[in-house]
Amino acid sequence: MSPVATTITTPALAVDNRPRSHIHDPAWLRWTLISLALLFLLSFLLLPLAAVFAEALRNGIKAYFAAFEDSDALAAIRLTLITTAISVPANVVFGVAAAWAITKFDFRGKSFLITLIDLPFAVSPVIAGLIFVLVFGRHGWFGPGNMEHLFAPIAPGFKEFVSGYGLDWLLGPLAEWMNEPGMLPVLFATPGIVLATIFVSFPFVARELIPLMQAQGRDEELTAITLGANGWQTFWRVTLPNIKWGLFYGVILCNARAMGEFGAVSVVSGKIRGETNTLPLHVEILYNEYNSVGAFAIATLLAMLAIVTLIAKSFTEWKFAKK
Amino acid sequence: MSITATNITKTFGNYTALNAVNLHVPSGKLIALLGPSGSGKTTLLRIIAGLEFADQGSGNILFGDEDVTNVPPGKRGVGFVFQHYALFRHLSVAENIAFGLKVRKRAERPDKATIAARVKELLHLIQLEDLGGRYPAQLSGGQRQRVALARALAVQPKVLLLDEPFGALDAKVRRDLRRWLRNFHDEIHLTTVFVTHDQEEALEIADEVVIMNQARVEQVGIPQEVYDRPTTPFVHKFLGNVNQIVLPWSGLIPGTNVPQEDGIAFVRPHDIELVHFNTGRDGDPAQVVDIHAAGPVAKVAVKRNDGKGIVDVELSRAYLDQIRLREGDHVLLRVRRPVATDYAI
Repeated sequence: MSPVATTITTPALAVDNRPRSHIHDPAWLRWTLISLALLFLLSFLLLPLAAVFAEALRNGIKAYFAAFEDSDALAAIRLTLITTAISVPANVVFGVAAAWAITKFDFRGKSFLITLIDLPFAVSPVIAGLIFVLVFGRHGWFGPGNMEHLFAPIAPGFKEFVSGYGLDWLLGPLAEWMNEPGMLPVLFATPGIVLATIFVSFPFVARELIPLMQAQGRDEELTAITLGANGWQTFWRVTLPNIKWGLFYGVILCNARAMGEFGAVSVVSGKIRGETNTLPLHVEILYNEYNSVGAFAIATLLAMLAIVTLIAKSFTEWKFAKK
Repeated sequence: MSITATNITKTFGNYTALNAVNLHVPSGKLIALLGPSGSGKTTLLRIIAGLEFADQGSGNILFGDEDVTNVPPGKRGVGFVFQHYALFRHLSVAENIAFGLKVRKRAERPDKATIAARVKELLHLIQLEDLGGRYPAQLSGGQRQRVALARALAVQPKVLLLDEPFGALDAKVRRDLRRWLRNFHDEIHLTTVFVTHDQEEALEIADEVVIMNQARVEQVGIPQEVYDRPTTPFVHKFLGNVNQIVLPWSGLIPGTNVPQEDGIAFVRPHDIELVHFNTGRDGDPAQVVDIHAAGPVAKVAVKRNDGKGIVDVELSRAYLDQIRLREGDHVLLRVRRPVATDYAI
């Protein structure tokens, strides 16, 4: 009896529950790849995170908490929170508005707008910071030294307009304010930091919402409109409930970026201790001064932010999957 | 309330979706807009609803005597049902139905008890009394479609507009639901326009069928009329099967006003008589090439002896058995009634 005949006539041999070689990789290859991936995760992601906490606690828990008693550290925390509190809500409004416009309406230049939204991802953060220096710097377009020059062409018309309303008394202080160097504190001050942060964290909300809203289509909104709902009601009662988890997802990513941004903020901040340092900038300064316990202690705050973000992200993904 | 659309043109860039279309829907009727995809039927429906606007200066829409051309959709009093239902997924069935009442201005909004009573009444009407608390994701396709209908009816629209209402359902549910819609319409008598590309569906339930093709209305009429007397080749081909027979053809009825010259005759397969060659007196000699006998009607393909193509004939199963037709048999073909030729007459 030939082996071929045996295989055909004996069912016990024909039924084989082992994975078929043509649809499964061999075991050694699978385990090698899995170990490689795990090793990579461990050495490049988990280990540095652990190192941050280890370094911060090297001189004991007392030294760790001492780092937060420093007034400059507290100022950095405050500034980061203020910046985030302004830029995240601003980006929620911009992001929702942009996603709503792009997905629910047709208009000229729509693809250009989509490209524009991605610009902050494409531009290096340092360049983003430099843009604000160019625009608001001493000799920038809207810089203090350039205001009079900039407004010269419209000044007569503006004066006439203001006089027309009997508001001449405004002109004096306004001119004074525009010519005074440092009276428009954008650079090296909170407004500049906020602007730079808004710029770099802009795409997160819009990017998260556009595909979601595109997939959901316009029919629900159109139905609401035929049923007599106005635009506001349609947004609050139909659109927003449909996008809430996507929006939350975008917000946590945007928040993480806003708190952690270094490059762009570093260019516009001027790094005045206790005044214009955000958390990441403060970490850098402490580190450069060889205060590694202090630097790593502050860094643990950012690391914890990352962990909280990841947990929140997984939670939303799980919520999404359940829907 | 009747609907009158006059001289409606709609273009999207270079593409003309509607070309000077006129439509009149009498009050209380159920009308089907029937046509292949791209014929402009959905665009017309959306223009009636106010979800699209006709080209500037091209025509107007009247509900009864009232010109609604520039009235926004929310104020027109239309109930619109989308092909994919567009139910609000985060709201329960009852909340979906109540939506149109809840978004009204405070002065016009009914109180909670009235809204609840109205929702209950509508749930009864669509035969889903017990499912008010369910969410759209927990309903079948047919149930969702009925909820969408109830939601549209809750605001007491003057006209009901349905865009491919059964398009996303499977064949069995589709048949049940369209019969249900017909009965439903007979109860409430609301002027209704529905869009479909399924001719069987349109012919079965509509009072009147509007056949559209390439941005124009081809023919309007009651179902039997458009089926029996199509006025254009397109309608003939679109509504059911048709043979395009090259003339001259000796299967035509002698004495009718059909010219026996060059041209095309349009003949439905069931309008052709088929007899064995040796039993017939006159007709067009031909040979059976294929018999397809599955189903209530047998489909027979017959090759003309003069070599001018194949003719499809539909015969009852009983007749097929009676004459014992076999592939290869020689037969005579003859029409039962006068036919349209070429539409150039």
